[in-house]
Amino acid sequence: MKRKKNKTTFGTYALAMFWLVLLSGVMLAIPFDAKDPYLSVSTIMVSNPWASFIRNYHYWSSQFFLILSLIHLYDHFHHKMKIGLKPGIAFRLSLSLLIIFLAMITGFLLKGDADSVQARQILQTLSERIPLIGESLAYSLLGSPESYQLIYVHHIATFTVFIAIAMVEHSRKFWPPVMDFVVSTLATFVISYFLSAPLHDNINPAVKGPWYFVGFQEILHWLQHPAWSLLLFLVVLILVYLSNSAAGKTMLISKRSLLLFTGLYAILTLIGLFFRGESWQLTRPWSQEYKTSVLHNFRTPRVDFAPDFTLNEALNSPVIQGRKESCLACHTETHGFTDSHSAEAIGCISCHGGNPFATDKNQSHNNMILIPGNLSTAKLSCGTTQCHPEIVERVPTGLMATLSGMISVDRFTFNEQDNPDLLTSIYELADSPADEHLRNLCVRCHLGNPKTELGPINEFSRGGGCLACHLNYSPEAEKALAANNGEILKSHPEISLKITNNHCFGCHSRSGRISTSYEGWHETTLLASEMPDSTNYRLIEDERVFVKQPADVHHELGLECIDCHHSYEVMGDGTHYAHQEDQQDVQCSDCHFNGEPRTITAENLDNESAKIAALRFGNIANKTFLITEKHNRALINTYIENDSVFFLTKNSGRKMTMKAPAKVCSRDNAHSSLACSSCHTSWAPTCIGCHNEYDANERGYNMIENREKPGSWVEYIGEYNAKLPTLGIRKTKEKTEVIPVLPGMIMTIDLHSYTGDKNDATIFHRLYAPAAPHTTSAKGRSCVSCHNSSLALGYGEGELKYVIENGKGKWKFKALYQSDPNDGLPADAWIDFLQTREGKVSTRSNVFPFSIDQQQRILTAGACLTCHKEDSKIMQQSLDDFDELISGRSSKCILPAWD
Amino acid sequence: MRSRRTFLRIGAVGLVSFFAFIWNKLTLNHLEAVKQKSLTLPFNRNKEIAFSADYIIVTKNNTTTVYSAHCTHLGCKIDKLEGDHFVCPCHGSQYDLQGNVLKGPAYKNLKVVPSTISEDGNNITING
Repeated sequence: MKRKKNKTTFGTYALAMFWLVLLSGVMLAIPFDAKDPYLSVSTIMVSNPWASFIRNYHYWSSQFFLILSLIHLYDHFHHKMKIGLKPGIAFRLSLSLLIIFLAMITGFLLKGDADSVQARQILQTLSERIPLIGESLAYSLLGSPESYQLIYVHHIATFTVFIAIAMVEHSRKFWPPVMDFVVSTLATFVISYFLSAPLHDNINPAVKGPWYFVGFQEILHWLQHPAWSLLLFLVVLILVYLSNSAAGKTMLISKRSLLLFTGLYAILTLIGLFFRGESWQLTRPWSQEYKTSVLHNFRTPRVDFAPDFTLNEALNSPVIQGRKESCLACHTETHGFTDSHSAEAIGCISCHGGNPFATDKNQSHNNMILIPGNLSTAKLSCGTTQCHPEIVERVPTGLMATLSGMISVDRFTFNEQDNPDLLTSIYELADSPADEHLRNLCVRCHLGNPKTELGPINEFSRGGGCLACHLNYSPEAEKALAANNGEILKSHPEISLKITNNHCFGCHSRSGRISTSYEGWHETTLLASEMPDSTNYRLIEDERVFVKQPADVHHELGLECIDCHHSYEVMGDGTHYAHQEDQQDVQCSDCHFNGEPRTITAENLDNESAKIAALRFGNIANKTFLITEKHNRALINTYIENDSVFFLTKNSGRKMTMKAPAKVCSRDNAHSSLACSSCHTSWAPTCIGCHNEYDANERGYNMIENREKPGSWVEYIGEYNAKLPTLGIRKTKEKTEVIPVLPGMIMTIDLHSYTGDKNDATIFHRLYAPAAPHTTSAKGRSCVSCHNSSLALGYGEGELKYVIENGKGKWKFKALYQSDPNDGLPADAWIDFLQTREGKVSTRSNVFPFSIDQQQRILTAGACLTCHKEDSKIMQQSLDDFDELISGRSSKCILPAWD
Repeated sequence: MRSRRTFLRIGAVGLVSFFAFIWNKLTLNHLEAVKQKSLTLPFNRNKEIAFSADYIIVTKNNTTTVYSAHCTHLGCKIDKLEGDHFVCPCHGSQYDLQGNVLKGPAYKNLKVVPSTISEDGNNITING
């Protein structure tokens, strides 16, 4: 009997653990504050390593107590022998199993973190659904929603006392064997030192219950009426009861059923723990998503008895969103933020991740996001629930992130797809000549391209997610970074709405070259060494040389890119668009209009626009703003006052009056189908004759993975010119309009050089592209610049002459450029003289050159302009009814004859 | 002997039931006493979706509807919009912006809570 009494069993270890739970619990009660559990637990972790250690000790001893108790139970059950306890004690023992779980879950709730708050809701709802006494039971167990007092009382008294009584009653023991106690104490010491008890940072979106209930969480997921799950508890308790007290077949069936249940429950637990991610999505434990959203919450720091900061530093650091963050104990006096992003308001981990509860540098910086805002991690920084989730969700759908148009048109040019307007995305690039071409030469400028180095956005910057636009270094911050000697930087760059032209420059000075054109710079093919020493030339950081051209009138007036472009255009509006002109919302006529303005009042603004307007311009109450015609979005830097429309520059707040368009623009007769930009573009950059071939020996680059690679597509550029744009027709469901177009892709592609297949011929295309040149002039182009211009009509540069011979008028054209051997047209032409083209003619399916009939009508007016000045009375009259006017012309007027 | 034991047993059960009765009564009375009748929160008409305390305030086409933020499945607090639907973080139930269940385990729509907006439009009183 004596021997049996001192025998080591899982039960005696459980008893030892119970004592350790009690001891550590009493100690933990000293620093723990049930009034604000989350703050007190985070304060313990940040400022009191000894208390933190005891918290770990309490946590681990209780987990082991639970595990050992369960094994102890199983130890009895796996024999076929009957246990044969009396009904009373068997009942109390079964009940104590439930109480152990209640003690455990109340401990889990007393962390007060995001996991706990949701677990508490579940427990409350489940209890409330018990018939008759549910409501009272739920309240008696959990107390009022804001308070943890009752939970605390039950945790330390009600449940603990019950467990103690049940334990002593069935084992007739108060004390565990000394050896078991010593082993348990030491083992728990070791584990508590290396592994901390979890605490949710309340930012990470994944929510999980305690490990012993994640299986139950799975069961609840499958139950429409979760209250039925309570029956499961009841059944398990009855089975435990019967296993303990019944005999014969009942006992055996009970034991086997429990075993089966335990097996199934273990499987569910594994699923719940390792295969469930954020928002209940299935995931895999080795996936990045699991790492960031689930594992993150369990990567708790080891206790460090010599923190990298003093107790005072820890205590003086501010409370952030209800918790203590250790970051601010070291990173004191960090400054440079806007109010909304200051460390006092959102702490460090909101943006930078890492571990806010660790107390040494390495552990704190573990999994840190050094450069937040990159789209790959934006969900965990800028896009967390409390911050800007809706924007971070939208941005990847926008064109600056998908590059849909660029990819689609490139594939179209490589004859890999028949339609240039398909929706694509940079993340869908596969293995094809066009996709490799894109990877080598084009796709560096997508927002998902991560920013990997500290420092301000400059002319070299490509991508960078949120930071691409919102990052600003003060001179002090830039200086501090440059002089970085390994000490903690105190001057932090600013995340703000101060988006300047420089932010756009890196990407938008390429391709359409909007940024440079807007500021009046045209790219040349000169090398840096060939650049003349003149203020008319500009060398940009990537060594491209630009020459002065007229700047956009809006630039002259001090407008920056964001003064016209609003947040839904730039960050996307959630719709996946095929091309820039589809996503782009603001039109000239939104600001320059005649008649009644289209408006929205401040109180009806969407939240984002209202927030931005208030941040930029202060109180916006009672203001009325203009809205765009295309997508109905507010232009928050406009407002109506005393029937006048005013405009404010967003960064500097300069006030301007908005001008209505000139009379000539708003006449609703001739030229009514012209887009403003077809007249008001002063010049546009053009490039003709470009050849592409793959060179296996060239040092190439993969712009998606940002790594060098052998072999690359090489582009041999032709001529760069600044010219008035050609005009073309865009046909949409709503309207047919004349727009400026440019020789976007007059090019040859040596497909054979990439595929190595002899049958792959060289591809030749003569595609023009719709353009938004951003070189607006206040005065429109002259009549002859269109009606008498071979360039405007699409024939290319050359001599376009109206000749009258033998009383017969005839237009003649002599091209400047030689004919291209591929199609016989002049190198820069879109169409042949007085001919038109069909099929693959432009980089859109809805943009075409003028038809022969349209060319003839334009040139007929052009013929008049060879004699009559454009401001002459007769030409002005011709705008009202051209056909009638020419029907009554004099015999001297010879109209062109068309063969 | 037997009748004495039976008597004691009945007596004990009776006493326990009596205590349970008192406990139930006192708790329910207390619940009634501490029940929050209404809650006034700042209101922002510009915000289409606002997660405030235990409520989701949806303002669309000049109509404001307040929903309980607690999932009808097990009461977890929904604090996030994913695309155009709410997702419960605990067991993955989904609701549209009108509070209708899109995906289980929840089968009941989000509860609509009566509310009134103050005259100046700056506050909303929710009668929870």
